[in-house]
Amino acid sequence: MAEASRAFDPAPAGAPLLAVRGLEGWYGESHVLHGIDIDVRKGEVVTLLGRNGAGKTTTLRAIIGILSKRTGSITYEGVETIRMASRGIARLGLGYVPEERGIFSSLTVHENLMLPPRVKPGGMSVAEIHALFPNLKERAGSQGTKLSGGEQQMLAIGRILRTGAKLILLDEPTEGLAPVIVQQIGRTILKLKSEGYTIVLVEQNFRFAQTLADRHYVVEQGRVVDMIENSQLDANIDKLHAYLGV
Amino acid sequence: MTTIFGVPTQALFGQLLLGLINGSFYAILSLGLAIIFGLLNIINFAHGALYMMGAFVAWMLLTYLGLGYWWALGLAPLVVGLFGILLERFLIARLYKLDHLYGLLLTFGLALIIQGLFRNQYGVSGLPYAIPSELSGGQRLPFMFLPNYRAWVVVASLTVCLATWLVIEKTKLGAYLRAATENPTLVQAFGVNVPLFLTLTYGFGVALAGFAGVLAAPIYSVNPNMGADIIIVVFAVVVIGGMGSILGSVITGFALGLVEGLTKVFYPEASATVIFVIMVLVLLVKPAGLFGRTA
Amino acid sequence: MLRSLLLATALCALTTAGALAQTAVKIGVLGDRSGVYSDISGEGSVVAARMAVEDFAKIDPSVKAEIISADHQNKPDVGAALARQWYDRDNVDMVIDGVTSSVALAINQVTREKNKAFIDTGAGTADLTGSQCTPNTVHWVYDTVALANGTGGAMVKRGGDTWFFLTADYVFGQTLQRDTTAVVTKNGGKVVGSVKTPFPTADFSSFLLQAQGSGAKVIGLANAGGDTINAIKQAGEFGITEGGQALAGLLVFSSDVYSLGTKVAQGLVLTEPFYWDLNDGTRAFSERFAKQMNGRKPTANHAGVYAGTLHYLKAAAALKDVKDGAKTVAKMKEIPTDDPLFGKGVIRVDGRKIHDMYLFEVKKPAESKDPWDLYKTLATIPGNEVFRPLNEGGCPLVKG
Repeated sequence: MAEASRAFDPAPAGAPLLAVRGLEGWYGESHVLHGIDIDVRKGEVVTLLGRNGAGKTTTLRAIIGILSKRTGSITYEGVETIRMASRGIARLGLGYVPEERGIFSSLTVHENLMLPPRVKPGGMSVAEIHALFPNLKERAGSQGTKLSGGEQQMLAIGRILRTGAKLILLDEPTEGLAPVIVQQIGRTILKLKSEGYTIVLVEQNFRFAQTLADRHYVVEQGRVVDMIENSQLDANIDKLHAYLGV
Repeated sequence: MTTIFGVPTQALFGQLLLGLINGSFYAILSLGLAIIFGLLNIINFAHGALYMMGAFVAWMLLTYLGLGYWWALGLAPLVVGLFGILLERFLIARLYKLDHLYGLLLTFGLALIIQGLFRNQYGVSGLPYAIPSELSGGQRLPFMFLPNYRAWVVVASLTVCLATWLVIEKTKLGAYLRAATENPTLVQAFGVNVPLFLTLTYGFGVALAGFAGVLAAPIYSVNPNMGADIIIVVFAVVVIGGMGSILGSVITGFALGLVEGLTKVFYPEASATVIFVIMVLVLLVKPAGLFGRTA
Repeated sequence: MLRSLLLATALCALTTAGALAQTAVKIGVLGDRSGVYSDISGEGSVVAARMAVEDFAKIDPSVKAEIISADHQNKPDVGAALARQWYDRDNVDMVIDGVTSSVALAINQVTREKNKAFIDTGAGTADLTGSQCTPNTVHWVYDTVALANGTGGAMVKRGGDTWFFLTADYVFGQTLQRDTTAVVTKNGGKVVGSVKTPFPTADFSSFLLQAQGSGAKVIGLANAGGDTINAIKQAGEFGITEGGQALAGLLVFSSDVYSLGTKVAQGLVLTEPFYWDLNDGTRAFSERFAKQMNGRKPTANHAGVYAGTLHYLKAAAALKDVKDGAKTVAKMKEIPTDDPLFGKGVIRVDGRKIHDMYLFEVKKPAESKDPWDLYKTLATIPGNEVFRPLNEGGCPLVKG
C-alpha cells in the first residue's frame, strides 16, 4: 500500500470504530469497487459523496455484508467482518437502512417496526421511537407500504433504532422527499448523533450533508478519491463541484 | 322430493360435504406447497412423496412399534419434517442461487427416488391401515351417512390450516416468514438467520404433507404412488389460488373440493379434469391466480 | 448314390448334434416392474419363471433355458418395442407375463409377425383368444369373461339380483362391466345403474354414495388395483356392507386383499383361478416363492408364469426346436397341461388355457390366522363353464 501517494489521510487520528481497507466488490461478474478506504470514529457522522453509480450504495452493501463477493478488509470494533455473513455483521451492532427503504408490504407498520431483532442492549423503546416519529404510532396498524415515502423512511430508520445498533448505515434517506420531511430527517440524524450514534450516510445532496456531517469521503469509479473535513467544505467547494459534476 | 337438475337436493348436500372433505386434503397439501414456494422459491415436487411417506410412517409406527393412529398423528409429521430438513440442508439449499427449474428437477427426482425405494420395499398394492376405533362408525344425517372419521378429517384439517394461518399472520415468527418471503437479503441484514428459517420452513411445509398422509392412511390406499396421484391436482390448486398465497391456497383447496364433488354428481367422467379446466380458465383471466399478487 | 450318401451324412450329423447339444430356449419375462401392477407381475414373475426352469431341469435336462426380463411400464408402445427387440436381436423365443390388456394386445401382434410364442398370464382382455387370437399366443390365467361368469353368476345365484357398477372409465373397466352385465341379465338379474369413475380415483365416497342410494343389492367394482382397494376401503367406512349391500370385486388379486387387510375386506366375494393355500402343491410352491420374495405370496399371475413356462418347456423338449413359434404353440395345445398349481387342463385351439376357477370370500379377521390367510372357498367353478365357449369368441382359428 503506497500510503505516501495518497492525496489525503484515510485514517485520521483516534481509533476508528469502522475501518475499511482496500475494499473491492463485485456484482456477479462486474467489478464495481476497486479499493475503498474509509475510517469512521465513534460518534461521527460521515458521508459518502459521489456521482450516480460511483459505488456509494455498493460500499454500504459491502459493509453490511449483502454484496455477494467482496475482498479487502472491513473491521468493526476491531473485528474482521469480510468473511462474515450479513446476519453476523448485523449482530455486531450495525444497522442498515437501504436506499429503497425495504418496508415489507405484507407486514403492518407495527410489525415492520418490531421486525429487526435486538442485536445489542440499549436500543430505543417503541415509545421513544413513536415520540421521534409520531406518524408511526398513528398508523401502526396500516400495511407497511401504504405509508407515504417520508413515513416509510421514518419507519426504516425507526426500526433500526430499536435494535441497539450503534453504527447506522443510511442510504440516501432524503431521496424524493418533500423539503419539510428532509428537514425532519436532518433533525433526527442530528439528534441521533447527539445521543452517541455513529452514522455513515450516502447522500447526493451535499448541501444537506454539510449540515450534518463531520467528514465527507468522495467516491469516484469505485475508489475513494478524497476526504474533506466538513469545516473545509466551503473552501473546497470548487473541487467538490468538479467531483460531483454539478 | 326436491331436485336440482334431476339430482335430489339431499344427495346434493351429501356430495357437497364429501367435496369439502376432499378439499381438506387439497388445502393442507397446497398450504405446505404455498409456504415453501413463497419463502424458498422452490416448486416442491417431492411434496406428494412426503405425503405418502407420512402415511407409511404411520403404518410403520403401528407395525413395528405398536404405536397407533394418535401417536402417528404427532410423530409422523415430525419424522417427515426432520427428513425434509435433511433434504433442504444437504440438497435443496445448494440450488437457491439457480433458476426455479433446478429446484423443480431436483425435487421431482427426489420424489421418484423416494417412491422407488418404498415400492421396492413394500410393493405397489399398498398396506392396510385401519380407522382408529374412537372414530369408526358414523352419524346418520338427514341427507347422508357421515362416517365419524370424515368429520374428523375436516375438523383436523381446518384446525391445522387455521392455526398455520394464525401463526403466519399474527405472530412474530410469522412476521419473519412474511418478511423473508418478500426480501430475504434485507431480513438477513437485520441479523436474522434466514438460512435456518428456510430449513425450518421447508421442514414445516413437508410436515404438513406428512400430517395429511396420516389423515389419509385410514381411508385411502397406503401405497407408494398415492402421493403422485394427488400431487398433480394439488399443484393445480396452488396455481389457481396463486403461487405462494397462503390464504389463497387454503380457500382454493376447499373450494375446488366442492367443485369436484359437484362434478362427481352431474358428470362423473369429468371429475378428474374439472380442476384443470378451471386452472386453464383462471390462468387465462388472471395469470397470477385468484389470490396471487402480480409481481 | 452320392445323394443318398450325403443325405445319410446330414441325417447322422443332425442326430448326433441333437444327442449332444441341448435344446436352447430363451424366455423373456415382460411385465410391469415399477407401476401399478408390479405386485401382480414384477420381480415375482421372474422368480416364478426361474422356478419353472429349475424344476423342469430336474425332470428333463435336455432343455437349456435362459431368462431375461424387462419393464413395459404398462405402455403398449414400450411393450411392443421391447418384444420386437428381443425377437430380432436377442434371440428370445417366448415372451411371458404381459400384464395390462393394451400391452398384451401389442405384444400379441408383434409375436405373430415374428412367428414366436407369447404366453399371456396377466392381461384381462378376452380378445386375446377372441377376435385378436393368433396361432402364437396362449392366454393362461383368466379373462374378463371368466371373471364376469365367476363372480357375476355366483352373486346372482346367491340372491344378488340387482347390480350397480362402479366402472373405471377406460376400456378395461367398460369391457368388464359389459361382460358382467351380460352374465347378470342371463341369470335373471338386473343392472339398476352405473357410474364411470375417472382412472385413477383416490376418493370413491361420492360414487359409493350414489351406489348406496340406488338400493342395488350388489355393487360391482369394474376396476382394478388401487382403484379397487380405495373403493373397498371406503365402502367399509361408509357402512355399505353393514347396510346390506354386497361388494363384488370383478378383478381382485390376493395381493390387493392382503393390502386391504381382512378387517376392511371381509365378506368381499371374488373369483380367482389360484390361491396359495388351495392344496399341498400350491402351498409348497408358494412357500418357495415367498422365500425369494420378501415373504410375499404369489398371485395368480405368478402362478400362471410358473405353469406356463413349465408347459412351454415340455413342448420344447418334445420338439427339440422352438424357432417356429406357431409350431411350438401348436405342440403346447397338443400336450395336455398338468402342473401343481392349476392341475390338469388343456389349451384350446383359440389359445385359451382351460382350468377351474374358484369363488372365494375374504375371511373375517377372527378366522384369519396370519396376514396372508385371506380366502375361504365358496365354490369351484369348472373350467368348461367359467370360460367363454369356444365358438362364441369369434377367433378365426376356430373352424365351423
